[in-house]
Amino acid sequence: MRLEIGNINIKDVQLGNETKVEKGVLYVNQEELAKVTGDDDRIASVEVYLAKPGEETRIIPVKDVIEPRVKVSGPGGMFPGFISKVEQVGEGRTHVLKGTAVVTTGKIVGFQEGIIDMSGPGAEYTPFSKTLNIVVKVDPVDGLHQHEHEAVVRLAGLRAAAYIGEAGRNVEPDDVQVFETKPLLEQAAEYPDLPKVAYVYMLQTQGLLHDTYVYGVDAKRIIPTLIYPTEVMDGAIVSGNCVSACDKNPTYVHQNSPVIHDLYERHGKDFNFIGCVITNENVTLADKERSSNMTAKLVELIGAEAVIISEEGFGNPDADLVMNCAKIEKKGIKTVLITDEYAGQDGASQSLADSTPEGDAVVTAGNANEVITLPPMKTVIGYPEVADVIAGGSAGSLKPDGSITAEVQVITGATNELGFGYLTAKGL
Amino acid sequence: MVKEIESAGLPIVHMCTVVPISLTVGANRIVPTVAIPHPLGNPALSREDEKELRRKLVRQALKALETEVEGQTVFEQ
Repeated sequence: MRLEIGNINIKDVQLGNETKVEKGVLYVNQEELAKVTGDDDRIASVEVYLAKPGEETRIIPVKDVIEPRVKVSGPGGMFPGFISKVEQVGEGRTHVLKGTAVVTTGKIVGFQEGIIDMSGPGAEYTPFSKTLNIVVKVDPVDGLHQHEHEAVVRLAGLRAAAYIGEAGRNVEPDDVQVFETKPLLEQAAEYPDLPKVAYVYMLQTQGLLHDTYVYGVDAKRIIPTLIYPTEVMDGAIVSGNCVSACDKNPTYVHQNSPVIHDLYERHGKDFNFIGCVITNENVTLADKERSSNMTAKLVELIGAEAVIISEEGFGNPDADLVMNCAKIEKKGIKTVLITDEYAGQDGASQSLADSTPEGDAVVTAGNANEVITLPPMKTVIGYPEVADVIAGGSAGSLKPDGSITAEVQVITGATNELGFGYLTAKGL
Repeated sequence: MVKEIESAGLPIVHMCTVVPISLTVGANRIVPTVAIPHPLGNPALSREDEKELRRKLVRQALKALETEVEGQTVFEQ
């Protein structure tokens, strides 16, 4: 499967009479965007805002972040199973409005939504302080159940991103990247002397608002399966989860998964990127056993010699991570794990809920319990009072002056377990 | 908590869903439960069936408490 990603570099975003891209500027028709976004009887209101890098703006509570893309050739359309029909995606050409993002906000659904600061210390922790954000504040009608509320806002965000992405359909991209994974036997034969490396892509599926969707299917109901990595770039995986903001994978991060992109970068040079297995993180032991068994079997089946495993979220999914690691290692296949840590505010506690001696190569995205003070912002889009209830915050987190003192857990993407961020640690 | 209580000389049963974590942290008497969001119940069952399920789990835990163990033991249903 071969996909061309055409990046249209966007330098600025402005509200205008027509939604279009002209000379690197994205113009958005506010009324039309609100109308498309709000096209659901369960939505009471939609407001559109812009939030740009460097501005003294805070967005809270952030539900999802989505990159505007459009399918210009090849089968299917964006977000199959939700926005477009359930066609196979990942082939042909996709245009991206690079540098922009749709951010959904609105009344809080659960208790695990995030914060994006466009400037100040919080901005360093979130990759979405560097994107030109088109924020849609979506509030539902009264009386919806939480899970309906979540679905309403999730779908509204996808509609908004697909609508904006259309503006890139007939624009000549600034650069075109090509990603290709061949059918397994061909792929294996292409670089016979390079080690075969696979990717185990764990998706958050704990339920109760912690869910991820694959081609519209709730991923807690899947048996682990193979996916072409290019399918993910076309929106085959959609975030529906309200797990802690710091380490959930917003849809934008799936579309731009650094693990997949970096594996392609070294594909054919240092190793043969042989395939990608998606698996879930369910809440019964039988599910965990079944999924980790299937995952280990699949990476063996495709002939992988080494595997990168990324986790999403924390807590009991640590057990899935460890089971995947131990079972794959037992087959003689090397593993590297990517996770983050909940090591307490002083960093002195046990970082993960489970462990295994086989897990001897682990990359951490940081300690989510570190405490940070976010200064007051001139503009707040959303509902600042939820700072006291979102995971990582506590009663009194929001100070009368508008500053917020909380764990970095509250910041969208702060400890992203696909490495989608800008903070690094260096040895002395 | 399981280990602290045990080190004070009291036998203790850890009822939990993710048995591997319990094994890692070193519990000696482990009773597997239903699911992480509802370890000791099951909202998919009728009230009567759920009561029976809960009763079974408690009985299993009491049995584990009475049983002499040599090292870590999982008491399956």
